[in-house]
Amino acid sequence: MAHDIRPKIALAMGDPCGISPELTAHLMASPAIREAMHLIVIGDVRVLSDGADIAKVAPTFEAVQTVDAIPQRAENHLFVDLGTLDPATITRGSASQAGGPFALANFRAALDLAKSGRVSAVTFTPFNKAAMRMADPAYDDEISFVARACGTTAPASEFNILDGLWNARVTSHIALKDVAERITTEAVLRGLQLTDASMRQAGYSTPRIALAALNPHGGDNGNFGREEIDILEPAVAAAKRGGLAVEGPFPADTVFVRAKAGQFDAVLTLYHDQGQIAMKLMGFDRGVTLLGGFPFPICTPAHGTAYEIAGKGIANTGAACAALLLAARLASHRARAAT
Amino acid sequence: MPMPHAPMPLALTMGEPAGIGGEVALAAWAAMQSTGPVFFVIDDPRRLERLAHSLCHHVPIATIASPVEAAAVFATALPVLSIGTAIKSVPGRLDPAHAAAVVRAIEIAVAFAVEGAASAVVTNPIQKATLYAAGFKYPGHTEFLGHLAGGSRPPVMMLACPELRVVPVTVHQSLRSAIASLSTAVIIEQALTTADALRRDFGIAHPRLAVAGLNPHAGEGGAMGDEEARIIQPAIDALRVAGLSVVGPLPPDTMFTPRARPTYDVAICMYHDQALIPLKALDIDGGVNVTLGLDILRTSPDHGTALDIAGTGKAHPGSLIAALRMAAEMARRRVLAAQGLPPHSPI
Repeated sequence: MAHDIRPKIALAMGDPCGISPELTAHLMASPAIREAMHLIVIGDVRVLSDGADIAKVAPTFEAVQTVDAIPQRAENHLFVDLGTLDPATITRGSASQAGGPFALANFRAALDLAKSGRVSAVTFTPFNKAAMRMADPAYDDEISFVARACGTTAPASEFNILDGLWNARVTSHIALKDVAERITTEAVLRGLQLTDASMRQAGYSTPRIALAALNPHGGDNGNFGREEIDILEPAVAAAKRGGLAVEGPFPADTVFVRAKAGQFDAVLTLYHDQGQIAMKLMGFDRGVTLLGGFPFPICTPAHGTAYEIAGKGIANTGAACAALLLAARLASHRARAAT
Repeated sequence: MPMPHAPMPLALTMGEPAGIGGEVALAAWAAMQSTGPVFFVIDDPRRLERLAHSLCHHVPIATIASPVEAAAVFATALPVLSIGTAIKSVPGRLDPAHAAAVVRAIEIAVAFAVEGAASAVVTNPIQKATLYAAGFKYPGHTEFLGHLAGGSRPPVMMLACPELRVVPVTVHQSLRSAIASLSTAVIIEQALTTADALRRDFGIAHPRLAVAGLNPHAGEGGAMGDEEARIIQPAIDALRVAGLSVVGPLPPDTMFTPRARPTYDVAICMYHDQALIPLKALDIDGGVNVTLGLDILRTSPDHGTALDIAGTGKAHPGSLIAALRMAAEMARRRVLAAQGLPPHSPI
C-alpha cells in the first residue's frame, strides 16, 4: 500500500455474552470497513475466535499483547489481545458479571489510545450497563464515564442518528418532573450549538436544526405552559443571531414528522422520551449513537446486546457498520479541518 | 337470522367556519357519496354552496329539514341541515359573531344522537379562543359533550389510527401540571372507561391494555422518578383485580415499536405528547379522535382549524373520512348489539 490515508479507529469489544463477539468478527472481515479505516480492535483473541466461528468469517489481523506494542504502521487490522477473558467462564445469551470488567477494560484502553492520539476515533460494540456498573460502581452512563476518563468538562451529548436524521437532547436520564427546571435558555442554546458543531464536523455545512417544544401544542400561546415563550424562543433567537439555522420551538408530536419529510437535518429534544419514542418507532435499532463534544468522536450501534439471538450467527451488522463508517468520516473530516 | 336495520345517518357539525371544516366536509362527501356512510352537515347551506363554488368543487347541496331525509339525497348531494343563521365567514378570519352558531351546531347534533335520529356525532374542529371570548366555559369539545351527554364517568379522549390506539390520561395542560395532576384514581377511571368502550363499540371481547410509565425507562426501579411505584403500579394492580388484562408500567420509548404494538389493544399514556408523538409518527392524516364514556358516539378528525390554509382547497379530508367511517362502524356495532346479534371483528 503506497500511502495509507485511512483513519485509525479503535474498536472496543463490548459485552461478550451478547452479539459483540460475532459483530466484531464481521466488522474485521468486512471489505467496506477495511477500505474505509484501519481498525485497532481491543479484546481477547479467544472471544474473537468464538465470534468468528459463529459469524463464519475468517478475519485477518496482526495480534499484539499490549497497546504499547502497537506498531506505527501496519497493513492489516490490529488486535490488542488483553487476555482478560476466557470465554469458557461465561454463558452466552445472558448477562454475566465477568462481561463487565472485560468490556470496561477494552473501552478504557480504546479511550487511552484516542487520548494519546494513536487513533482518531473510538467505537464499541454494545455494552450491558448493569454489568459495567458491577465492575465499576461509579459507572453511570457512557457520557459521564468518558468525561471522567478524558478529564473533560465541556458540554457533551449523545446523538442518535437514523437515516440521516440526527436527534440530541437537552436532558436525559432524569425524572420527568425534574425536566422543566433544567430547561434554561443557556442549556438549550448550548444544546443547539453542540448539535450544530457536531454536525459541521460530520460534513454538514449548515445543519438545519428544529427545536422541540416542552408543552402540548407548543404551549398553545402560553395557555398550556410558558416555557416556550420565556425560555425556548429566546434560545432560538440567540442561536439565530449566532448564525445557526435553527427553527422552533415546534410541537413535539409533529416535529419528527416534518424532520422525516426532509425539512430538518436534526431535532433537539428536551427530554429522553420526546426523542426516543419517535426514533425507536422509526426503527432506531438500525441507527447509530454518537457521543459528541469530546476531543475525538465515539460511535456505537444504537441496538443493545441482543442476548436472545447471541451465538446464532443471525445478528444484523448494518448498524455496527454504519457506526464505524460514521466514526471514520468524522475522523477524516477533523483531520482535513486541522490541516 | 334477522337482518339488522340500517343505522341512522351521522351528524357532522359545522366547526369553526373560518377554518377548514367546510371544505373537508365537501371533499369527504365527494369521496364517499357512492360508498357511504351517510352523513349530513349542520351548517348554513348557502355558506357551503359559496365555499364549493369558490373552490370549484362540484358538490351539490341539498337542504334537509330532518336527519331522516339524508339517506335519500346522499348519493346525489351533500345533505345540509340548516343551522338557522346566515354564516358570512371569511376563510382564515376569526369572528366571535359566529361563536353562538358553532356551539348550537354541537348542541343540535348531540340532541339528534340522544333521541336516536343520528347514529353518532362527528365534530369539525373549533377555535377555542373565539368561543371563550363569546362566553363558552368548557375547556374543549370533550368536556362540553360530557356536559350534554355524559355517562357515569367523565369522558375519555382516545386517538386511533389503523396501527395504534392511545389514551392520554392528562391532556391539554402544561407538562408540569400534567405530572402534578397524575393520580392512581384518574388512571383507573380512564382505563375502565376505555376497556368498556373497546368491548362495546370496537368488538374487542377481552381488551389488552398497556400502561406507559412516566419517566425514562419507566423510572428504572425508582432511579429516575417514583411515579411508577407510587401512582401507576397501584392503578395497574387495581385494574387487574377488576379482571382486566393489563401490562406496565412500560418504558415509554420501546412500547410503540413495530414489534411491541401488536401485543396490546390500547396504550394508556401519562401525558399528551407521550400519546401523540407515536400516533402522529404513524399517521399524520388519518388519526381519529374518539370520545369514550358518553351516552352517544362521537368522533372527530385529529387536526385543528388550520386557519393558515383555510379556503385554499389544500386541506386533506383523510382524517375526517376516517372519523366518519369509524363512527359508522361503532354505530353498526351498537345496532347489532341492540338486536342481540354478535359484533363483527375489531375495527
